[in-house]
This record gives sequence, structure tokens and C-alpha cells, in this order.
Amino acid sequence: MTMLIANALAAGAAEAAEAAPKMDPLHHFQVIKVIPISLFGIDVSISNSVIWIWIALGIALGLLRYGLRAPQLVPGRMQSMAEASLLFVRGIINDTIGKEGQKFFPLIFSLFLFVLFCNVTGLIPGSFTPTSQLVVTGTFAVGVFIFSTGLGFYKHGTHYFKFFVPGGLPVLLLPLMVPIEIISYLARPVSLSVRLFANMTAGHTVLGVLFFFTATLPWFGAWLPFGFSVVFTAVEGFIGFIQAYIFTILTCVYINDALHMH
Amino acid sequence: MIAIAHAAEGAAAGHASSSGLPQFDVLNFSSQIFWTIVSFAVLLYLLTRFVIPAINAILDARGKSIEDDLSQAKKAREEAEKILANYHKELGAARQEAGKILEQARLEASRLREQVKSELEQESAKKKSAALEEIELAKQRVIEEIKGLAVDLAIDATHKLIGKAVTKTDANKMVEQVMTQLKDDQQRAH
Amino acid sequence: MEHLAASFIGMGLAAAGLAGSGIGLGFMFGKTIEAFARQPGAESQLSKYVWIGAAFVEAIALYGLVIAFIIMGKG
Repeated sequence: MTMLIANALAAGAAEAAEAAPKMDPLHHFQVIKVIPISLFGIDVSISNSVIWIWIALGIALGLLRYGLRAPQLVPGRMQSMAEASLLFVRGIINDTIGKEGQKFFPLIFSLFLFVLFCNVTGLIPGSFTPTSQLVVTGTFAVGVFIFSTGLGFYKHGTHYFKFFVPGGLPVLLLPLMVPIEIISYLARPVSLSVRLFANMTAGHTVLGVLFFFTATLPWFGAWLPFGFSVVFTAVEGFIGFIQAYIFTILTCVYINDALHMH
Repeated sequence: MIAIAHAAEGAAAGHASSSGLPQFDVLNFSSQIFWTIVSFAVLLYLLTRFVIPAINAILDARGKSIEDDLSQAKKAREEAEKILANYHKELGAARQEAGKILEQARLEASRLREQVKSELEQESAKKKSAALEEIELAKQRVIEEIKGLAVDLAIDATHKLIGKAVTKTDANKMVEQVMTQLKDDQQRAH
Repeated sequence: MEHLAASFIGMGLAAAGLAGSGIGLGFMFGKTIEAFARQPGAESQLSKYVWIGAAFVEAIALYGLVIAFIIMGKG
């Protein structure tokens, strides 16, 4: 079923070459278990996804560590980058939550770095993109959802249920509006996780298709998908950054909603 | 979400590796959830423990150094302003002094001029009066001479006319008479 | 075999949702250029929101793609 396009394509190609390659752009999303581990009957084996999470975080921490190896008042390039990343996230928090949001800074900063570096290291050829796994983004989204909801109940108690009752509406509309509000609130983790996962998956699928064409077309046709793949890799890098940014901003917005009940 | 999970279950029930997105393969969920949470916790710990304090420290240090520099610059500026004000004050004082000196010099000069002028005037007046006196004396002397000549002439003339010598005293008397008459005529003519 | 054809049609229909996202992106960038032309000074402040908005609109199209993938798994 994966090779619906490939079937059509391979049908033509098979006539020319007896061993026509099959197009499988979803192949590189395959999670492969490297070291099977089972903990209390639950499977926690180390897969390539997990390894690439570690590689991404290792790169992130290594860059930060390298930038801060000898901090100086007049920063070098890497130190400037490290400081800029921190100030960038601090700026997002200040813009969306305000001063009292700074106590969530380490959490949001880690989230931003995690998502950003997982997105970007996925562009290395032969690598794996952990954020293209729905489970990984879903874990974050559900975590953010539980955190912000818990924060709202901790801050406002049962008053937090008022969040689902929009103010300034006639009472007659309430039975209609309250379920909509609740559904839209519950849809937050879904949209948050699916947005990131779908962006990464779609981008890498397109790249996979382009690489397939580059590899299989004859030389006079291959330069076109190859050029596209170069451009699209740059676009993917940009999208990876934007998606990390949006993930961070939305997290801030949800925390802000919990703190201030807009 | 439910639909996705359902779909994933369906995919897992069939051939998980060959149909649908590999992302929906439920078999891989538990390990990824576990390791994602663990990795995130480790990242959070390392960032909070090492990276964020380091960056904050350097940012604070830079802020402090900039603040120090600013305050130092402000101090230097205040000092410079003080020096400038002092200089202006001194300049003004010097200018005033110069003005005073100039005024004094002007006064002195005018006083000297006045003095010289009055001295000159006195001198010239003295000279003038001396000259006038001299002229008066000369006039007198000339008049006396003329008088003497006139007497001599008159004596001669009368001698020739009447052949008789007129004594000097008589001639003198006559000349005096004529002279007074002349003077009277002169005065009358005036 | 019939339900296979139906699932293909369903996938195509799900992917057709991209059209809405395309319209949205076109509107957004058109309005953005209009705004920049009117007020070039606001460009640096607005461009941030433009990219956020673009990512949101793009994500809508990708929801359709995800549904196509789900149908692919089901079929």
C-alpha cells in the first residue's frame, strides 16, 4: 500500500530495467529497535529514534558547552549564539506571558532546544527525525497540556472551570458554547502534536520523493529534482526552526491562559 | 487522536512495517514515550544546572560592566562640565580684569592728554603775553624815536624858516602840543 | 478491490484540502505585501507574525495529509 505511486511508476520503469528501484519515501520513518530492553513488562528498548534524540541533544548541549567554555564579557561567535538562544526564548516568554512567566524559563527553553535540534538534525542525510514520530511530539503535547491544566487548577482552583464559559454571552447560547470551548481545549494537544509531526513527516516525505527521482532518473532529467531537493532542504531547515518557534509560543500561550485565564 | 490511535492499531494488527505510516505503529510507542521523557528530564536538568546559570552569569556581568562604564562616563562628564564651568568663570574674570585695565589706561591717557594740553596752553599764553609786551615796548621806543626825530625836524625846519634857532625845550613843548592834538583828532575821528 | 479504490479516492479527497491552505497562504502573503507597501516601517515587526501565521496555515494542509496517510494505513 505504501507504494501506490511507486506501483504506477515501477510499471513503466520495469520495462526498461529489470531491477527497478521501488519508491518508498516513508521508509526512513521506520523505527528500528537496536537494543531491546523490557522494564516491568513494558517495552523500553532503544531504537534509532531514541538514539537520534540523544544525538540531537548531544549536539545542542555540546554547542552550548563549546560556546560557554570560557565565557567572556565580549562574546565570541559561539558564545553569542548561546546567549542569543537564551535571550530569544526569554523574549518569547516576556511577550506572551510576561515577567511572571520567567519561572517557567528552564522548561520552555529545554522544550525549544529539544524540538529545534531534533528538527534540524533530521536534515542530516541518513539521520532519523525524532520529531517526525507522532509519539514524541504527542508526549510533549500531552505533557504541556497536563502541565498547563494542572497549573490552571493549582492557581485558580475550581475557578478554572470558568475558562470554558466565555464571558458576555446570553445564557441561551451557553449550552452550545461550553461544549465547543471544551472540545477546542481538548484539541490543543492534538493540534500541537500533529502540527509538528505532520510538518516534519511531509517535509521529509517530499525530500524522499525528490531523492528517489534524483537517483533513478537519467542524468539529463536528474538535475531538476536534485536542484529542488537542495532548495527544499534549506526550506526544511527554515520550517524546522519555525515549527520549534511555534511549539514554544503555543506552550507559552497555554501557560499564559492557565495563569491569567485570558 | 482516537482515530489516529485506532488507525495505528489497525496498522499494527496487520503488517505494521509495510502499510501506512510507520509513525502509527503502536509497538514502538512505549519505548519512545519513556525515552523522550527521560531525555527531556536529563536535558532540563543539565540546562538548569549548568547552561542557564552560566549564561545568566555572563549576561549579568556584562550588564554590570556596562552599568559601571556608564556611571564612570557620567562621572567623567560631570567632571568635564565642572572644569568647563570653572574655565568659563575664569575666562569671564580675566575678561573683566582686562576691561578694567583698559578703562584705567583710557582714563590715564585722557588725563595725560588734558594735562599736556593745559600745560601747552599755559605756555603759549605766557609766550603770547611776553611777545605782546615786547611789541608794546618796541612801539613805545619807536614812538619815542619818532618824537625825537620830529623835534629835530621841527627845529631844523623852523630854523630854516625863521632863521632862528628854537630851543630844544620849546620844540619839545610844541611837538608835545601837536602830538596831543593829533591824538585828540585821532580820538575824535574814532 | 472496491474498497481499495474507495480508499484511493478518499486519500485524494483528503489531499484536496491543500487547496484551502493554498488560498489562505495566498491571502495572507498578499495582505502582508499590501501592508508592507503601505507601511514599510512596520516590516520588521509584522514579518514575525507572518511566518507564524504561514506555519499555522500550512499545518492545516498537513492535517489533510495526515488523514490521507491514515486512510492509506486503513486501506
